[in-house]
Amino acid sequence: MLANFIAIPVMLILSVLQITAVSRIVLFNGTADLVLLAVAAWGVRERGKNVFLWAFIGGLLISFTSAMPLFTPIAPYMFIALIARLFQDRLWQAPILSLIIVVFAGTLFQHIFNIVVLQLNSVNLGFIESIQKVTLPSLLLNFFFLFPIYVLISDIGKWVFPEENYE
Amino acid sequence: MKSVSSQTLRNAVVVFLVVGILFLALGGFLRPILGVVMDPFISAQRWLSERFMEVYDFFTLPRDVADLLQKNAKLKDEVSSLQSQVIQMQEQLREASVLYSLLDFARSRPEDKYIAAAVIGRDPNPFLRYIIIDQGSDDGIQHGMPVVTQQGLVGKVDAVTASAARIQLITDPGSVVNVRLQNQTADAQIIGSVTGEVTLEMLSQNTDLTPGEILLTSGLGGNYPGDVIVGQVSEIIATENQLFQTALVQPIVDFTALRAVLVITNFNSININSLVPIAAP
Repeated sequence: MLANFIAIPVMLILSVLQITAVSRIVLFNGTADLVLLAVAAWGVRERGKNVFLWAFIGGLLISFTSAMPLFTPIAPYMFIALIARLFQDRLWQAPILSLIIVVFAGTLFQHIFNIVVLQLNSVNLGFIESIQKVTLPSLLLNFFFLFPIYVLISDIGKWVFPEENYE
Repeated sequence: MKSVSSQTLRNAVVVFLVVGILFLALGGFLRPILGVVMDPFISAQRWLSERFMEVYDFFTLPRDVADLLQKNAKLKDEVSSLQSQVIQMQEQLREASVLYSLLDFARSRPEDKYIAAAVIGRDPNPFLRYIIIDQGSDDGIQHGMPVVTQQGLVGKVDAVTASAARIQLITDPGSVVNVRLQNQTADAQIIGSVTGEVTLEMLSQNTDLTPGEILLTSGLGGNYPGDVIVGQVSEIIATENQLFQTALVQPIVDFTALRAVLVITNFNSININSLVPIAAP
């Protein structure tokens, strides 16, 4: 139960941090996505079965602040939660490796999804240009923030599930 | 009797000699001799005093160092406190200078009414160029209101909540602003992009466009008031075989350092979508 409730303050803090600070840290035209990283880091944990709730709450909060069509940011986070759980089942002994793969695939999926949604809404976006100038720098920044977020989420996990401390 | 007399005489001679030596010493006649005799004693005393002071310092210095360290720590605390105050003051000064600039701009256009707002965030999606300000519908902000700074056009209000609003910047890929050239009677459009570059499009080939040309809002379309500075033509993209000219535009506003903006509240944007003809199926 606590694992479900803890998602709300954590995602709230991360989304506020994302909007106020992390979105201003720009590499070329890319930015990191703390919510994506938190969803991925929670999803690759053994006890992270409620990651879909985390993804939903994170996506909802981002959806309220972003100019993307309402509720569309939820879909990529749900996908990331899904692949995080898939990798957790298969690579449960190597969470870091799983996390790197999930963040890589998740960032690509999220950006392609965003490009398609914006193009469907008649926004002037070049696909290749967007991938080169936004997605690749964002991927780099996501990897930069990956380990601090993983450590933070791991600590939260140990606090929520104290019996995991033997790890 | 004889022995007493001799003893007395001896004493008298000794007293006489002592008194004589004293008088000679007080008169300064014995100084060279005293110097020779006293110098070794003085040197020995100086050496002994120095050694004593060293030993004394050895035992008393640690207490002084601890005291000094305490004072040093206290002074460091004061310095860091003063430094943080200086930083706060500089920050306030910077904000004040921004607000003064905005005030100057507002005074230069007395026909408009403004609400000043601080920029508190940016859109988390890197493909979009939106900012979030700390004023909302409770403060009189409405959808479609133009947003400017003392430098020029920033964008327009895209969404409003009770206490905040989201602004679409002119660099957003979905932004289109109708503009005119300052020195010529020619209308065009500026369009944002995913990289934040702004391009001038839909400009007639008959217009003699040169780099450095200033662009102002034309007021066409009813989305923005007229005569607000937008930017400057930085590079012309040669497209002689096309219907319209294209150029890169350097926006007048530095969007990466936006801290405060002015929302023009007495301008109502006009929605002309219902006037645009829809192609028959």
